[in-house]
Amino acid sequence: MINRFLRLLARWPTERALRIACILGLIALAMMVTGVFLGTPIPVVAAMSVAQGFGVFACLLFGLSIAADVAGRRP
Amino acid sequence: MGSAFTPFGALTIAAAAVAAIILLHHLIARPALTAVTRMRLLLGLAVFPFLAAVASTGSGMHRTTEREFCGSCHVMETHLSDLEDPKSLGLAARHARSPIIGPTACYTCHADYSMLGYPLTKLNGMMHVYHYYLGGYRNWSLEQFHAEVRTAKPYPNQNCKQCHSGTLASFTNIKEHASLAEELDQNKVSCASAGCHGVAHPFSKTKEELSK
Repeated sequence: MINRFLRLLARWPTERALRIACILGLIALAMMVTGVFLGTPIPVVAAMSVAQGFGVFACLLFGLSIAADVAGRRP
Repeated sequence: MGSAFTPFGALTIAAAAVAAIILLHHLIARPALTAVTRMRLLLGLAVFPFLAAVASTGSGMHRTTEREFCGSCHVMETHLSDLEDPKSLGLAARHARSPIIGPTACYTCHADYSMLGYPLTKLNGMMHVYHYYLGGYRNWSLEQFHAEVRTAKPYPNQNCKQCHSGTLASFTNIKEHASLAEELDQNKVSCASAGCHGVAHPFSKTKEELSK
């Protein structure tokens, strides 16, 4: 299990994953701000559900990318 | 304008702005993945977005208690305009004139009074969103809505008692309250009925319902 995870990390496209994480993060932040500004049902519900899902996914991509980067630098 | 000028709203915007600057900088400048870049991305992808998410949830939760939020669906327009009419004699309108509960009048009266009242009311609100956007209410006329849609369950007297204590003399000295005590407790007689304090939203009821 750990070996499979390490193999996945070795092939992990760090730069690309970080760019995707940044884009997802920006979309999530835009949804949250839209919910605050508009205050109508769909934007508010989206800000509290979809946006947070995007944010969590972006954070996971970031965590995996950093783990892959650290694992790749080990001698 | 939503809740942009509330503390939670302002915090959401500020945290989102800082995070967005960090993320845009990373996308445009494409810096090498050094320790400084990692730390910056930690702030831009975790710390500030987490702050924005917490604040936007607080802001959203508060927003969903405001009567303008409930009135933003067109089928609730008459309910909202009745609440805002200073001459309306409806039970809900009279309560909405209170400066304490007025701004959140719908939520204050319709949120069930129990330990799980808050989350269950919010979940129920999600069903309202579902019925409106996916269940067809969005395309209904007000007349059709008033004719066909009724509250999902009888209005619980317990909700009235959140504010109107049933133990003070001003309540117990009323003969009808004493004689109907059991029926009121068991919700067999509604405080918001024609023979008692009147229905809450009379404009949405038929003549038969108004005389019950």
